[in-house]
Amino acid sequence: MELIYRGAEADVFKGGWCDRPAVYKVRKPLTYRLPELDGLIRSQRTSHEAQIIHQSRGAGVPAPWLYYVSPEEALLVMEFVEGERLKTVLMDPAMTGRRARELGAEFGRDIARLHAAGIMHGDLTTSNVIVGGGRLTLIDFGLAIRSQRLEDQAVDLRLIKETVTGAHNGVSKPFMRSLLAGYSEVLGGTRTAAAARKLAEIERRGRYARVE
Amino acid sequence: MRGNLRVLGIESTAHTFSASVVGEREGVITNAKDVYLPPEGSGIHPAEAADHHLSVAARVVREALDEAGAQGLDDVDAVAYSMGPGLGPCLRVGAVTARALSLASGKPLVAVNHAVGHIELGCLLTGARAPLVLLISGGHTMVLAHSNGVWRVLGETLDLTLGQLLDQIGRHVGFASPCGRRIEEAAARSSRYLRLPYTVKGNDVSFSGVLTAAKRLVDGGAPPEDVFYSVQETAFAITTEVTERALAFTGARELLVVGGVAANRRLSEMLRKMAERHEASVMVVPPQFSGDCGAQIAWTGLLAYRAGESLAGVAESVVRQSWRLDTVRTPWRA
Repeated sequence: MELIYRGAEADVFKGGWCDRPAVYKVRKPLTYRLPELDGLIRSQRTSHEAQIIHQSRGAGVPAPWLYYVSPEEALLVMEFVEGERLKTVLMDPAMTGRRARELGAEFGRDIARLHAAGIMHGDLTTSNVIVGGGRLTLIDFGLAIRSQRLEDQAVDLRLIKETVTGAHNGVSKPFMRSLLAGYSEVLGGTRTAAAARKLAEIERRGRYARVE
Repeated sequence: MRGNLRVLGIESTAHTFSASVVGEREGVITNAKDVYLPPEGSGIHPAEAADHHLSVAARVVREALDEAGAQGLDDVDAVAYSMGPGLGPCLRVGAVTARALSLASGKPLVAVNHAVGHIELGCLLTGARAPLVLLISGGHTMVLAHSNGVWRVLGETLDLTLGQLLDQIGRHVGFASPCGRRIEEAAARSSRYLRLPYTVKGNDVSFSGVLTAAKRLVDGGAPPEDVFYSVQETAFAITTEVTERALAFTGARELLVVGGVAANRRLSEMLRKMAERHEASVMVVPPQFSGDCGAQIAWTGLLAYRAGESLAGVAESVVRQSWRLDTVRTPWRA
């Protein structure tokens, strides 16, 4: 099998499953963590991630098909989604403001569907979105949680904002604006405004933030 | 400007009053300090810390200048002070000292962000050039990378800092702040792990749950060394995990660790094990410079002054108790 991504908590390999290309996600033991703490975290996150992926697909959010789940081995086998990471796409020097807005709106709609179903992705960086096949697919639900709280929705949005302004500063403004517009297409203006207010409140709570 | 700039820096954001002389070629020349120590079982009292700073300011500044062989202020080109973030009463002592020295000598004033100071001194002392930075202290717990003229925050604490977590659990058993070293020593005597909440939210961390659960364990009669061991193992694993996420995301080859908690050996051991997997080198600021010190202000002041950043006069030399790191301009970095 071919290693395609060495992530922070898991290694991702490309292999096959019943004649289809498949992704093997293995949470390897992290030697810096105490073994007892590490084993528990890895198996819990594996079975939790499988449940959330299943629920996300049910909510109409594009996520990979699950083929096989083994909490004991901390292993997930999933559909291989063809395409490129949103991170790579946004860093392309040929990226236009218009294309960034389209991607932002689409991403916003997907997140809103997820939130409407009570699922917080928990790791909405641009590394965890695949652009391909005429749509976006969300991957890596390893830190996702179930929640109905506005606070958690805003934390999800805040991570995207943090990542986009940190790593894709050139296109961050049009991208974030259309992301919120897409979000509001699904969840409505009232809930979107409430989430945006909560997001601003969380930023003000940040250490040494200037209180406007 | 002369060929070899020299800057006097004054630090007074929290419990440390410190003054330092740095040179463009020599790096850190002197670093004098005097630290306010609160009574056992309590934390820093801002007004008392400020009183302490006032009583030692003149002596510490003289020490820094004399040991540098400086002829008073004639041999320095600028006076830098920490403008913030920090405790208001403490910051004001540093600002007043710097103003007085600037007015008396006619040398320009340079305002420095304390947190940027930790990073720039760390780069000077370790040789890090374009690092991912883990800043861990009583005031900050942040993962940062430099981009588009500022240090951008890739992840940070949503509540307590690592330093606060260690200080508050230490005070709960009767230590005086800062408690990091005593906690590390006690933790080294235990290997019994007690379960504590493990909270990572995306790239951010939360330690309030760890603190509450740890206090309950202490109150329930658990041996303090077991609690300290478990707090360190949990909180440091959380910190290492988000640092690893940022390292994987940025692909950085250097990880610079700065701030008071950088002195903890268990944490740097975890970071080194983690970084191996990503073929990144871990550069930890030497322990004598991990805590707050004048050198971080003097060196960053020198970089800023060389880049043309100085205050127009004492009227601008305010203090800023809240001053987020990611809003500070850093024109000396490309």
